[in-house]
Amino acid sequence: ESAVDPGMLPRPLDSPDDVKSTGTMNCNPRYLRLSTNAMPNSHSLVARWHLPLGAVVHPLAEAPPGEEVPVVNFVGSSIVRCRRCRAYINPYVMFTDGGRRWRCNVCVLLNEVPIEYFCSLDENGRRRDADERPELSCGSVEFVAQTEYMVRPPMPPVYFFLIDVSISAVKSGMLKVAAETIKATLDKLPGFPRTQIGFLTFDSMLHFYNLKSSLMQPQMMVVADLDDPFLPLPDDLLVNLSESRVVVDALLDSLPSLFEKNISIESALGPALKATFMIMSQLGGKLLVFQSTLPSLGVGRLKLRGDDPRIYGTEKEYLLRGSEEQFYKHMAADFSKYQIGVNIYAFGDRYTDLASLGTLAKYTGGQVCYYPGFQAYLHGEKFSYELARDLSRETAWEAVMRIRCGKGIRFSSFHGHFMLRSSDLMALPAVDCDKAFSMQLTLEDTLLTTNTVYFQVALLYTSSTGERRIRVHTMATPVVSDLGEMYRAADVGAIASIMSRLGVDKSMQSKLEDARQTTQQRLHRSLREYRNMFAVQHRTSNRLLFPESLRLLPLYTLAICKNLALRGGYGDTTPDERSAMGFEIMTMSISRLLKLLYPAFFRIDEFLLQGGKGETDFMMGLPKPVPLASERLDPRGAFLLNDGLRFVLWLGKVLPDEFVKQILGPEFAYSPDLSKVALQEHDSILSKRLVAMLRELRKMNPAVYQQCILLRQGEQPREGNLVLGNLVEDQTGGLSGYA
Amino acid sequence: MDFNEVEAGEGVRLAWNAWPSSRIEATRMVVPFGVICNPVAALPEVPLLPYEPILCKGCRGVLNPYCRIDLDARIWVCQFCFQRNHFPPSYNGMSATNMPRELFPNSGVVEYVMSSQGGGGGGYMSPSGRTAAAGGGGFGIGMFGSTTPPGFLFVVDTCVTEEDLAGLKNAIKQLLGTMPETALVGLVSYGTMVQVHELGYADCPKSYVFRGDKAVSPQQVQEYLGLVNKQVRGGGGPGSGRGGGLGRFLAPVSEFEFSLTNALDELQPNSFSVEPGHRPQRATGAALAVAAGLMEGCLPNVGSRIMLFVAGPTTVGPGLIVDTDMGKSIRTHQDLVNDRAPHHKKACKFYTQLSSQMVANSHVLDIFACSLDQVGLAEAKIAVESTGGILVMAETFDSDQFKKSLQKLFMRDEEGHLKMFFNASVEVMTTREVKVCGAIGPCSSLHKKGVSVSETEIGIGGTSAWKLCTLNSKTAIAFYFEVVNAHSNPIPAGTAFFIQFVTQYQHGSGQTRLRVCTIARRWCDGGQVQDLAAGFDQEAAAVVMARLAVYKTEHEEVFDILRWLDRMLIRVASKFGDYQKEDPASFRLSSNFSLYPQFMFHLRRSQFLQVFNNTPDETAFYRLMLNREAVVGSLIMIQPTLFNYSFDGPPVPVLLDVSSIGPDRILVFDSYFYVVVHYGSTIAQWRKLGYQNDPQHENFRKLLEAPKADAEALLSERIPLPRLVECDQHGSQARFLLAKLNPSVTHNTDQYGGNSEVIFTDDVSLQVFIDHLQRLAVQS
Ligand SMILES: [Zn+2]
Ligand SMILES: [Zn+2]
Repeated sequence: ESAVDPGMLPRPLDSPDDVKSTGTMNCNPRYLRLSTNAMPNSHSLVARWHLPLGAVVHPLAEAPPGEEVPVVNFVGSSIVRCRRCRAYINPYVMFTDGGRRWRCNVCVLLNEVPIEYFCSLDENGRRRDADERPELSCGSVEFVAQTEYMVRPPMPPVYFFLIDVSISAVKSGMLKVAAETIKATLDKLPGFPRTQIGFLTFDSMLHFYNLKSSLMQPQMMVVADLDDPFLPLPDDLLVNLSESRVVVDALLDSLPSLFEKNISIESALGPALKATFMIMSQLGGKLLVFQSTLPSLGVGRLKLRGDDPRIYGTEKEYLLRGSEEQFYKHMAADFSKYQIGVNIYAFGDRYTDLASLGTLAKYTGGQVCYYPGFQAYLHGEKFSYELARDLSRETAWEAVMRIRCGKGIRFSSFHGHFMLRSSDLMALPAVDCDKAFSMQLTLEDTLLTTNTVYFQVALLYTSSTGERRIRVHTMATPVVSDLGEMYRAADVGAIASIMSRLGVDKSMQSKLEDARQTTQQRLHRSLREYRNMFAVQHRTSNRLLFPESLRLLPLYTLAICKNLALRGGYGDTTPDERSAMGFEIMTMSISRLLKLLYPAFFRIDEFLLQGGKGETDFMMGLPKPVPLASERLDPRGAFLLNDGLRFVLWLGKVLPDEFVKQILGPEFAYSPDLSKVALQEHDSILSKRLVAMLRELRKMNPAVYQQCILLRQGEQPREGNLVLGNLVEDQTGGLSGYA
Repeated sequence: MDFNEVEAGEGVRLAWNAWPSSRIEATRMVVPFGVICNPVAALPEVPLLPYEPILCKGCRGVLNPYCRIDLDARIWVCQFCFQRNHFPPSYNGMSATNMPRELFPNSGVVEYVMSSQGGGGGGYMSPSGRTAAAGGGGFGIGMFGSTTPPGFLFVVDTCVTEEDLAGLKNAIKQLLGTMPETALVGLVSYGTMVQVHELGYADCPKSYVFRGDKAVSPQQVQEYLGLVNKQVRGGGGPGSGRGGGLGRFLAPVSEFEFSLTNALDELQPNSFSVEPGHRPQRATGAALAVAAGLMEGCLPNVGSRIMLFVAGPTTVGPGLIVDTDMGKSIRTHQDLVNDRAPHHKKACKFYTQLSSQMVANSHVLDIFACSLDQVGLAEAKIAVESTGGILVMAETFDSDQFKKSLQKLFMRDEEGHLKMFFNASVEVMTTREVKVCGAIGPCSSLHKKGVSVSETEIGIGGTSAWKLCTLNSKTAIAFYFEVVNAHSNPIPAGTAFFIQFVTQYQHGSGQTRLRVCTIARRWCDGGQVQDLAAGFDQEAAAVVMARLAVYKTEHEEVFDILRWLDRMLIRVASKFGDYQKEDPASFRLSSNFSLYPQFMFHLRRSQFLQVFNNTPDETAFYRLMLNREAVVGSLIMIQPTLFNYSFDGPPVPVLLDVSSIGPDRILVFDSYFYVVVHYGSTIAQWRKLGYQNDPQHENFRKLLEAPKADAEALLSERIPLPRLVECDQHGSQARFLLAKLNPSVTHNTDQYGGNSEVIFTDDVSLQVFIDHLQRLAVQS
């Protein structure tokens, strides 16, 4: 049997992840995607499906202009909901009795229409006002919630900064960049004029700041009692930003110089977290933790455990990827309970046990941003951009999210950053447009008898303006009894997203090898199943047997196993980088994940040399991406790898000197080690074009700042980690290649 | 013998100026052999010698004019241990006509300037048994010399109203302007929490915060403040990180005035909420513990003051005296007697500990209590007393009484030096037949054992040396002695015995000085009662008894002490009175005994022993004040003075009796704590009518001015300032006067009728008291 032609294998090179919307009655797929748009009606079907059966929810996904979710305000009446299953009124409900009753599409109960909501029906049984009412015509609406949806007055946006000021935080420039960025972003914080703000810095002691509005400058109060941290002031540690603006500005201006001469190497993160909790617990809000070193003092102190090679490959290996200290789990539970969402910014140049620290973000709907070996001149721009985005993006406060579905199925497991408050209620103290969640479905014992099953995502939250709102996404999906239909309706993006999350979850409980195996097994089993199904028709053909919808799944599965989170073993990456990647995957949207799994890879030297059409429209001629295979690398060329998190610029060994000189500047043109070199704009046409190109590429991916990492061919081990490891089609590290 | 004159020369007064030479006879003298000594009294003719003293190699007694000198052999004989000592070579030029100054006949009191090597309190007579503090002292000398300026740590209570806090801030700011530039200053503020202000931090106001409800050890304080390095803790000794605190928490006024003023300006009243029906959380004890730890870390064994400004009771943490719950009231004397003050003993224990820590470091505690409530002085007194600090009680921080007392504390001498001295020790040397039983006053024991220490303890005993963390020229200590000579070993009457007081202290100029006061008195045959009686100083004796009585209140019931005083008085009367047995009418006392019964009468009635109408805090204050005043001041406290001002001539003293009040009299009453100007009803009326403003009544204006001026003069001499009360006869304020007058006319015995005042009291009058005394004295 002849070999497969590698060139013909399916790759996501020219068709990026692009799922079509299925009409306005369903919500846009940017908010909700199912792993297959055909629900199985029986357990036996599910058993033969092998792939994950579930959904990926991205409740606050950014919509292009003109496609924003409409806001509905039921002034003077309650939001219309099903009496039994509490589903929200949506385009799929049926009105009967001349408009006096409506049947719930989710649970089929017949409900009374409230008098004030009554409207007569037209000849087709459709409400005459359906087109004017977004909740009856759009798959996504946002209801303004009344007081019955509040347990307390809506909270103001709260931003609290917990900043490591030990020697490494100061020396690396982290503190300076953080202070400058926060100051520059103050005007963009949502929620003016209600926004509240507070700061706590720490090393071997805790430094509180009295920001009382009547002061001219902040007062620093030091608490050294780490065993029993306490608040030195009852108020004014968390203040209204607009009232205390002068004091806050003064603090941020002086913060870097306050600790300029600090020589403390200690980090009392645990006690600092306890103190922060005391300050924030009244209101809740967003806690940003800036951590530059391994927590060394007080409760929550952590050990250097991650770099012990002896543990790898043993049954205990997975422990490294979980939290060592129960403290962080307990703390996270407390934070979640009091509506505090935690984002971790980590900067260590050595092991900082991100697995433990990240626990705080994991259970509070937060995220982990990791800048290994942070140096302001190299990573300052990235950190600054990402922090500014974190602070300025629209945030939903004190939120809970639930996804309802029709009778016969239920959601049984959830994957992402949140805390489950009851069997299906996700607590999200602070959630934003960059967070996606996934969940898996289970069939109940009975067969699904309806033709359609409905899903409804409801996110109840407080907007930055202080309004309580419910964002509702509704989707209808047909129920099928045929496996083929399921396969045909499969959504490879949703499947890859769920599979990678399952892989990361698995790596928390077993060896990396097992996690990879489990992932691959799913693919193999489903392939076999599908082949069996169509064995007769395709006997003569040697083509890969998969429906069009899943043609990329083998590639993505391979990529998942080669992703930093699951790749290799000890030595292939640091435990912290692996953890950071895991945290990323658990919150990523589908499109960003797919980009990560199969980065865009293209040659740019010719493009830059030719791109003489001016700097505005030259993006039009971006070269076509090439397959991620090392054979594509040409020592005479320059290649750019774009995985959605960063750019890697690979410079071939025999690139013309002039090209390299223009790109790197004369100073670094011959530098053998580019790891400490930042890409800067030089006074040369190639450099200007490159920088402009990167700027344009960054605009397409606002969630992060893609730093451009420079690399010369043969620069080991960087080349291996940064480029070769990502060439997923290669046969590397004991994993097979794509062919 | 004019005892006042002797005092003006020596700075000491003895209850007895002639002592019986045998132990048995000595025990029959009733009044103890007490000496009221002003260790560094401002005496007119004390020579200041720019060299160090010559010490006896046997007992380290100091060469003095009473020593026997052999000029030819160049030998002097110590009168305490009879050691023969050679004069050092530097005395070679000495001859009968060229004697060193300390051997002049009038050199009973001389003062030496010590070289800095002897400074720091650990020098001249390095007291044994104090290794830790002595080590610290050694450090102090090495690093600072004896010229390390004193530190002043302000500890400010913020549980006050905005206005009161403003008053306090102003007072401290004003003070900063008048302090010596080199004096070190620092700030601790507290309410629910305790804040140590790092005034040397330039970038923004910074403070270290401690919980108010938790006791912290000095080591913890120093660790938290970064005064000791945690890693090397234990290896570095108590002062290892000391340099770290100077410049951060304490620095010269010249350096910190600006930041301290700023810190004061930014100080807000305690912002922790107070629940309804509750007192604010005031962590005075924790604040003092932190302050003491800070000072120990920064200025070990450098004479310094922790100045507490407190506005109410301690309600949390160490030293707590009452819960915040208003339902619980602050302990009264009644509660203390009946063991119903649940926090009292614990608080006392805390302050006792604090006090020994502070004494070991030569740190002084001053308390400025400006409050309508009690603040807990009864508990804190021990720390103030043993460190020699001052106590000021006033109603607000805006009052003159507070502000002026604070200013007066920082008075300077003609050369601009502070009139407060630090880090003193007093050692007592005695003739072999005399031993020292103890001391009562603002001092603590240095635990120096030796041949001159008696087994009988009176006051702080078991030592021959005492430490005074601070003192000034008025500070007076009462020393108690006993005669130990066996009856079988007669000493010729008229032979002298000697006592030497050697006081080393840090003068306001920074110099370490040594004051040596050697006194000589005569032995007497115990049978010669007349000779002994002639040496009786009834004023000194009254004070010696008063201090002893007050000292006893710490351990004994007041009722028993009064009985004891009565017994002692009767024994004095029967031993030294002149009478026919069983005939009270025949009883007479010689002139130098005649006032003694009166003193005892007033002592019995005084606020020192009678606690009705006073809070435990007030009582603590009065007792503390009595314990440091010299004879004259103490007597005013015991028996106030009353002067009558009238048109008839200069003011004259009148009986401290209700009968002294008259409508056309102005009385000036001085009880030391109160100065009352009392206008008789007629005078008061004229004053109201404004006669003094009428040029025709020039005399009346002058009459009004004189008592006011005299009262102001009294005020200006004292720290704390007495309270000045002006009142009219029959006015409510007149109670301050009436309470102190002899109730010769009471509602029980209205024999005069008419014009006289009547005091509503059941106390016996002086006359009744004296009658009783005479009756009892003449019984066999
Ligand atoms: Zn329903
Ligand atoms: Zn001697």
